[in-house]
Amino acid sequence: MIKIFSNKNKQLISSAPKYRTSFGDVVFVILNYSFFIIFTLACIFPFYYLLINTISDNDLVRKGAIRLIPKGIHFSNYLSLRSVNDLMQAFRVTVSRTVIGTALMVLASGLVGFLVTKKEMWGRSFWYRFIIITMYFNAGLIPWYLNMSMMGLTDNFLGYIIPGIVAPYNIILVKTYIESIPAELEESAYIDGASYMMVFRKIIWPLSKPILATIAIFGAVGHWNSFQDSLIIMQNNAQLYTLQHRLYMYLNQTTNIGQVMTSGNTQISASTQAALLNSKTIKYTISMVTVLPILFVYPFMQRYFEKGIMLGAVKG
Amino acid sequence: MQAAKTLKTSKDRIIDIIFYIYRFAIIFLVISLFIPGLNPAKISSLINSNMSLFTSGVSYSSLTSNILRAVNRGWVQNETFRTLYIGSMASCVGVIGAIIGGCMSLGSLKLRKLGNMITIVGNIISLFGFVGIAAAYMQLSETTNLERVEPSIPIGYFIIAGLVLLVLILSLILLIIQPKAGAKDIYELQQKYKLFLLMVPFVALIFVFSYLPLWGWRYAFFDYKAGGTLSQDNFVGLKWFRFLLENEATRRDIIRVLRNTLAMSGLGLATSWCSMAFAIFLCEIKNLRIRRLIQTFTTVPNFISWVLVYSFATLIFSSEGIISNIIVSRGGTAVNFLMNGENIWLKMLAWGMWKGIGWSAIIYIAGISGIDQQLYEAATVDGAGRFRKMWNVTVPGLLPTFFVLLLLQISGILSNGMEQYLVFENPYNTREIMVLDLYVYKLGINSGKIPLTTVVGMVKSLVSVTLLFGANKLSKWVRGESIV
Repeated sequence: MIKIFSNKNKQLISSAPKYRTSFGDVVFVILNYSFFIIFTLACIFPFYYLLINTISDNDLVRKGAIRLIPKGIHFSNYLSLRSVNDLMQAFRVTVSRTVIGTALMVLASGLVGFLVTKKEMWGRSFWYRFIIITMYFNAGLIPWYLNMSMMGLTDNFLGYIIPGIVAPYNIILVKTYIESIPAELEESAYIDGASYMMVFRKIIWPLSKPILATIAIFGAVGHWNSFQDSLIIMQNNAQLYTLQHRLYMYLNQTTNIGQVMTSGNTQISASTQAALLNSKTIKYTISMVTVLPILFVYPFMQRYFEKGIMLGAVKG
Repeated sequence: MQAAKTLKTSKDRIIDIIFYIYRFAIIFLVISLFIPGLNPAKISSLINSNMSLFTSGVSYSSLTSNILRAVNRGWVQNETFRTLYIGSMASCVGVIGAIIGGCMSLGSLKLRKLGNMITIVGNIISLFGFVGIAAAYMQLSETTNLERVEPSIPIGYFIIAGLVLLVLILSLILLIIQPKAGAKDIYELQQKYKLFLLMVPFVALIFVFSYLPLWGWRYAFFDYKAGGTLSQDNFVGLKWFRFLLENEATRRDIIRVLRNTLAMSGLGLATSWCSMAFAIFLCEIKNLRIRRLIQTFTTVPNFISWVLVYSFATLIFSSEGIISNIIVSRGGTAVNFLMNGENIWLKMLAWGMWKGIGWSAIIYIAGISGIDQQLYEAATVDGAGRFRKMWNVTVPGLLPTFFVLLLLQISGILSNGMEQYLVFENPYNTREIMVLDLYVYKLGINSGKIPLTTVVGMVKSLVSVTLLFGANKLSKWVRGESIV
């Protein structure tokens, strides 16, 4: 597809030939900076605004008095989420599918990516194409749904996990990466009598950790953000809705969210009760809880994300 | 000895042919395990018709999901269904034996013989399972309410039992016909088959979840209602294709939906250069730390879901959002900007860009750092200014990347996904926001018009694949390089 770009010139950019500073340059720099600063603020302001509205005094929030600075900071909104029953269940479902689904996907991608580099496999290129070509077509939503229901995977937790195990795109990434590992490493192991699985476990797996981390991050974000499959295949089992699906339902709820609370939970204090009835802040808080893991993970994983998109530019 | 080994006798050839039949029979057996139409355990109308033998043998709860009333009324006994469950489970176990045997048939003589024995054992278990299913049927036919229970032996019973018997007989023949394994023979599998067998589970998964749905295209030719079955009686040929073109209301809907889809994809295409421009201008910021910071913050929105984007939208634009707050505090009335269908295409484009532009710029940023610095120096010497260099050096350097991404985008012109439009949809904008994917979802999943939406999906898939190949051809022709 696109040749991978070399990074050797990266430092040069900063020390690129200096312009003679003219009036036009100053104007350009100011305009350029202002555009990017405004756009960056537009990107982060919603996150910040969401945060301050969940930790500020609920009455002020209801009146719309919180705009830029949080007032009357408290965290009881977060604590009161515990008593929104379905939410905890959705949280458990989403965490489990993220952990299990990602782990299986990474294992499978690693193994298949390794296997398809083995030239001696029977029908290797055919099977590889058989997997890869599925990226470019799909039967459509309805046949897919009917197929899932035929497999008994509707209203079933496994419906979240099994279809995502073999991910063609990730297999391409892993395969490309493994091909860049010097072949001598593997060959010497085979000469010493190692089996394929041994080579995979002891050599390929540890050496491909960077790419495996990359696809793990992408997979986890995908699972965490999943909404469509919950909407389509879990129609009759509300216990299995994902967090995003629940959030979507709460956001669309015009009635008071108090209805979704556990009825008969008398241990909630009066203030929490009031907080719960304040559906606006609860919606905000649920949104915040849904976005927090992404925000926590993102700064540490940014280089993996970027590596992912760069590797994706390499033709499989 | 050496000559005898390499020379294939006619007996060897016969063994080879039998092995081919044997493996094919096993593959068919495995596939039929997952086809609900062939479920041998569907001996009564009380059993869900969407269940395959595999599901019947694995999940007791879904096997018995509809029988509660029948048990309470005394029409059927719980024991019957337990027998049926155990029978189905035994059949499944038997098929697993056959799979193992089939895999081992790729190995050395000794391994093949072991595989044959495993297959025989498995298939005998399977046959016991079929006896169990038959016993359950016998019990069912003594029911007091024949009309509601409708006991019957399905056609799949004979097909699958026949396949099991065939495999059993074949492996018996093979066991007898093959020469005795010598003392020196070892269990061995050739490397190429070993690797292939490791690959099989994944290929099977891809087959089941990416190729098998194509089999669902047959719903386009039937008069199917959710929960019903496909049979000769409701085969309607091209009725739904004609319906799509001839039914006035549907046709108008489709045209409107296509217009929305093409308009929004078209806007996306028309603005696809924006991320390139974003990257170029971002690289004009020479302070690396600030550039890095901007890059970090502008890529975050790409990783949040559309539901959260909608949450942000309500936070800012709804009647209790910040803009309405400001209007109210100035003495105006609160406005819910989301409940407004005006310019919805542009609004959707704006949200899409807010979410995606920083991310899609990354590839161009990397592209810029890959451009030869000497080109810039030469351009400077020739007296090119900032914009000249952008236009004459940077842009040409990025064009190949841009071109590939554009072609891929063109081939996806009909698929703009449904999540974004689903979350933003409301009665005020539904006419303009309804794209093809959302339309299929609403009509197929919510209203249960399965054949019609299958037709739509089918046409959409075919058009997309054609576009992709067309784009690929174009790319080969223009650049001499393919994109897929």
